[in-house]
Amino acid sequence: MRNWLAVVGGVTLLILAVVAIAAPWIAPHDPMQVNLPDALLPPSAAYPLGTDPLGRDVLSRLIYGTRISLLIGFIAVGIAVLVGCLVGAVAGFYGGWADALLMRLVDTLLSIPSIFLLLAIIAMDPAETLLRWGELPVIGGLFAALFQAVDPHIVVLMAVIGLMSWMGVARLVRAEILSLKEREFVLAARVLGASPLRLIATHLLPNAMGPVLVSATLGVGGAILTESVLSYLGLGVQPPVPSWGNILNEGRVALGVAWWLTLSPGMCILVTVLAFNLLGEGIREWLGRQ
Amino acid sequence: MTSYLFSRLLGLIPVLLWITVISFGIMHLAPGKPTDAALQFNPKVSLEARQRMEKLYGLDQPLPAQYLQWLGRLSRLDFGRSFLDDRPVMEKIVERLPITLTINVWSLLLILGLAVPLGVISAVRPGGLFDRLTTVFVFIGYSMPSFWLALLCMALFGVTLRWLPVSGVHSLDHESFGLIQRWLDTAWHLLLPISIAAFVSLAGMSRYMRSSMVEVLRQDYIRTARAKGLPERRVLFRHGLRNALLPVITILGLSLPDLIGGSVIAETIFSIPGMGRLFYEAVMARDYPVVMALVTVGAVLTMLGNLLADLGYAYADPRIRVGKGER
Repeated sequence: MRNWLAVVGGVTLLILAVVAIAAPWIAPHDPMQVNLPDALLPPSAAYPLGTDPLGRDVLSRLIYGTRISLLIGFIAVGIAVLVGCLVGAVAGFYGGWADALLMRLVDTLLSIPSIFLLLAIIAMDPAETLLRWGELPVIGGLFAALFQAVDPHIVVLMAVIGLMSWMGVARLVRAEILSLKEREFVLAARVLGASPLRLIATHLLPNAMGPVLVSATLGVGGAILTESVLSYLGLGVQPPVPSWGNILNEGRVALGVAWWLTLSPGMCILVTVLAFNLLGEGIREWLGRQ
Repeated sequence: MTSYLFSRLLGLIPVLLWITVISFGIMHLAPGKPTDAALQFNPKVSLEARQRMEKLYGLDQPLPAQYLQWLGRLSRLDFGRSFLDDRPVMEKIVERLPITLTINVWSLLLILGLAVPLGVISAVRPGGLFDRLTTVFVFIGYSMPSFWLALLCMALFGVTLRWLPVSGVHSLDHESFGLIQRWLDTAWHLLLPISIAAFVSLAGMSRYMRSSMVEVLRQDYIRTARAKGLPERRVLFRHGLRNALLPVITILGLSLPDLIGGSVIAETIFSIPGMGRLFYEAVMARDYPVVMALVTVGAVLTMLGNLLADLGYAYADPRIRVGKGER
């Protein structure tokens, strides 16, 4: 029964990925097109999920929002996995002072409510700072091109969410490495003269990847939830770029009159996060049986 | 017990130091001087006030010196003054703390009151109908954006049905009520925020309760208790639940950051003048002293909660305090 649920999760994610990629072709309207006479229309044939206070089509905005959510979810988790593996490997492999220092940092970051740190960092307007990097002498052009392609607010979101969620992976990797590093095959490699880097990269980390994969899959769901909260609070993806969270923010103003603005984005978040959780649990069960 | 307490307190020191480094780092990584923000958002701040502020933060000195000075003030619980209204930050926090603590304590009680029976009943027959239903509930609970749930409940119970108030902590004519009426009025207003806050952690907690109980029910002493003919209720509650509850207390401590963090969202949605809303307002106004202070206070509250949970655990289970205290 659990496998069946994992398949449902996986298929849902595939559909979402297709929607994200094919957004320009399947969205019935331009998601940015303001059309004031059509503001706050309930669902109809022309606008299957109604319109927002600026008369934009909610369905089209949700479809484009899928792109933002998946992009932020995957890249944030990518960053978290990288940092977590690095910190966990160093702490587990070298032990001693490095271990004590890094693991106390992990404890600390876990004890500060993460929304506090996220909001505090975003409040400093790091996107402004990033934009200024575009004016740097040599590499400035590179950054300018990047920010032409991706909104700096979204870059900030991916980085900040990633940097606030690596602690679980670090603990996992450290624990795996601690239990692996005295095993015969590692000792054999060490006797053969393998460098610490080689030991970590080819012998220790690959063996820790199972639990990391589970944690990463669940983490994408978590990152999408975090993004939606931040965007809802007005500190995430900035309008007019559509994101599920900022559509909810616009819906709050019209909570009593335009229920469709609140219902549909939340369902998108719920279904997506649920799909990642089902898939993650499925992978965990599967690994457990191996 | 004393030596265990002592070793736990010593262990908190490095974490506390990291907290101060992080709070300080946030403020000083900000582009421009922190005082710029105060000027930008409040043109009424005079030149003297700005100079006083710059002197207060020692902005002309090297960073490590500034950090040590800030640490010194921190140790006297002096968080400086708010950029917004020039009031002491500590005063602003202290007046906002009680309502946030009230909400969080009540939701903790609600979580325990619901998660324990849910977990126990599912653990008695793993794979049974009830267990499968709670599994579905747990998956949905894990994936639910709580702020969305709050909005839906507000729309349904507040706007459409008009059963519950949608914002604030008491009615407009609160002052004219008698004591009990006033109390009921506040409870009435806090019903939704508390339930939503509890819902966030309920799914995870009932799952932990279930797996802990399943684990305990597999133990030999449970078989012994059953073999000697004790009634099933006694086996479950006296022998099973008492042991299964212990690890759950620790998990409850670990869920505190989510609970405190959740108050930012809940208090913003329900317009409750608590610590979470103060934080949100401070963030939006770039009121750095308040932001730094609340990051620190939030973390310290969490640490204290964890410490309490661990002490409770150690008190209930001698193996813990002996094992760790003598290391």
